[in-house]
Amino acid sequence: MKVISRLFLLLIYAFLYVPIIVLIIYSFNNSQYSMLWHGFTWAWYQQLSSDSDLISSAVNSIALGVSASSIATLLGTLCAVSLYRYNFKGQKLLYFTVFLLILMPDIVIGTSLLILFSTANFELGFFSLLIAHITLCLPFVVIVIYSRLTTVDENIFEAALDLGATNSIIFKRILIPLLTPGLIAAWLLSFTLSLDDVIISYFVSGPNFQILPLQIFSMVKLGVDPEINALTSIIFAITVLFVLISHFSLRKK
Amino acid sequence: MKRYQLIIFAVLLFLMNSFCFADSKELNIYVWYNEIPQSVIKKFEKETGIHVNYADYNDNEVLYAKLKADPNSGYDIVEPSSYFVSRMSREGMLQPLDKQKLYNFKYIDNAFRNPNYDANDTYSIPWMWGMTGIFVNKQFFNPNEITSWKDFWNKKYYNQIMLLDDPREVFNIGLLTLGVSPNTNNLADIKAGYENLSKLLPNVKLFNSDAIPSIFIDADATIGMAWNGDVYRAQQENPNLVFIYPQDGFVIWVDCMTIPKNAPHLANAYKFLNFLMEPENASKVTMVFGYATANAQAKNYLPKAMQNNPTIFPSDEILKRGIFQTDLNNQALQAYAKYWELLKLNA
Repeated sequence: MKVISRLFLLLIYAFLYVPIIVLIIYSFNNSQYSMLWHGFTWAWYQQLSSDSDLISSAVNSIALGVSASSIATLLGTLCAVSLYRYNFKGQKLLYFTVFLLILMPDIVIGTSLLILFSTANFELGFFSLLIAHITLCLPFVVIVIYSRLTTVDENIFEAALDLGATNSIIFKRILIPLLTPGLIAAWLLSFTLSLDDVIISYFVSGPNFQILPLQIFSMVKLGVDPEINALTSIIFAITVLFVLISHFSLRKK
Repeated sequence: MKRYQLIIFAVLLFLMNSFCFADSKELNIYVWYNEIPQSVIKKFEKETGIHVNYADYNDNEVLYAKLKADPNSGYDIVEPSSYFVSRMSREGMLQPLDKQKLYNFKYIDNAFRNPNYDANDTYSIPWMWGMTGIFVNKQFFNPNEITSWKDFWNKKYYNQIMLLDDPREVFNIGLLTLGVSPNTNNLADIKAGYENLSKLLPNVKLFNSDAIPSIFIDADATIGMAWNGDVYRAQQENPNLVFIYPQDGFVIWVDCMTIPKNAPHLANAYKFLNFLMEPENASKVTMVFGYATANAQAKNYLPKAMQNNPTIFPSDEILKRGIFQTDLNNQALQAYAKYWELLKLNA
């Protein structure tokens, strides 16, 4: 029985990680199109380093991801805290509309934002993408932070009030430190969502701000370039590094 | 607190303005993936000082939907395929070109002027063209035994043939083998084409339009329909591939440069179009991509091996069998959608 459960676990992990490993292996394959092994090469990494177009869309994507996830984390945290700590009119409604956004298909968000931007004569580009990605990430942030808040003992707040703390001190000294792991998780989740979104971005992207997922998507018909494999391998390595750093820095505390 | 809000608001406003009133030394192009090489764009930027914002797509529908959803999307040059030129010009999405300003139009090959999809070249400049024909891997099949689309129906190709995952392309075969024009709007003809294709299904191994060259090179499919440029690029890695121009006719598509309505940088767009039509610049697309340029003079800038390669440039005699693809009316498109679904369900 134990063997079977081990095997099952192994299969699940293989299912999740084999595609990524294959992609990394192909980034070293010495062939432009073929999916068979033609020997080891660094050529795609070299070619990538001189491909200014691809690098600039990768930089754009990362800049967009960082700003969208930071703003979404900030707004989402405020939203979750107010939903949790205070009672006000329309609270239930607010709660459900946030969760409704998670279930909303991307294509609905994308088209409705595009219609909004085009009726408001808002130029499509960095800011339209930023607003769209904040909308996309916000509900996920709220969920992560809210579920973290529900694990906090409510008596802490009363004790703090008893000792003369004001609401802003409670927020700064108690809530933020308790929420830190949740904040990091929410930020990383938002960043990933923003980085790989194709559908919403397709609608609201403009001519002067090209981002990576859309560029990769347009390559599919020809067979994805090994340069893309190289780029995604680098991004994967950075992600792993990120996760490791956050893991160890949190454990020390 | 109020003051902070004001400052943030002012900064945001400033940033937005700097984006809205973008420098007029800019050009926004939206074209088929890979169809304008980076080197050409770099050269244009260097010569004129105009910054090019480049974006690409891999499906006419993607371009069409984007422009339809937001007519002010800000693109200066877009590149629909021939039959989409007629649809988009009919729906008022493109603007007529001012021939006076296009002094390099003289280099365009006569065979591509005044085409059936755009009379008098009102809206479009032909840029790149290709054909859908038959590919065969000669390690597996004898290419001399396959001369026309009809041969696909031969029992010996049971479960071997690759078809493109594209309704227009597949119906072209069904109609051409019946001797009907692939541009027909006649519903009875389309139905007959469907019934004809149903008989082909046992021979079909897969429908696919993605990552085509790797399938050819690795011999995952060894016979089927293909675009000539894909076969040319695959031949560089697998010399066993052969491209055949079918006897019963084949379809020619042309990807065209056009200027959409409301293009914000019109003067720069004309500069860029003239630049693209310079023979040396036009030759670069064939060099990189393996599809033929519609520029008559550009051929001279290519290596001899490419100029004489029949997979890229077929002889005039072969070209006579080619048919330009045109747009269909809505009824015909609906019929295509219906029969395509039925076909894929039975596959």
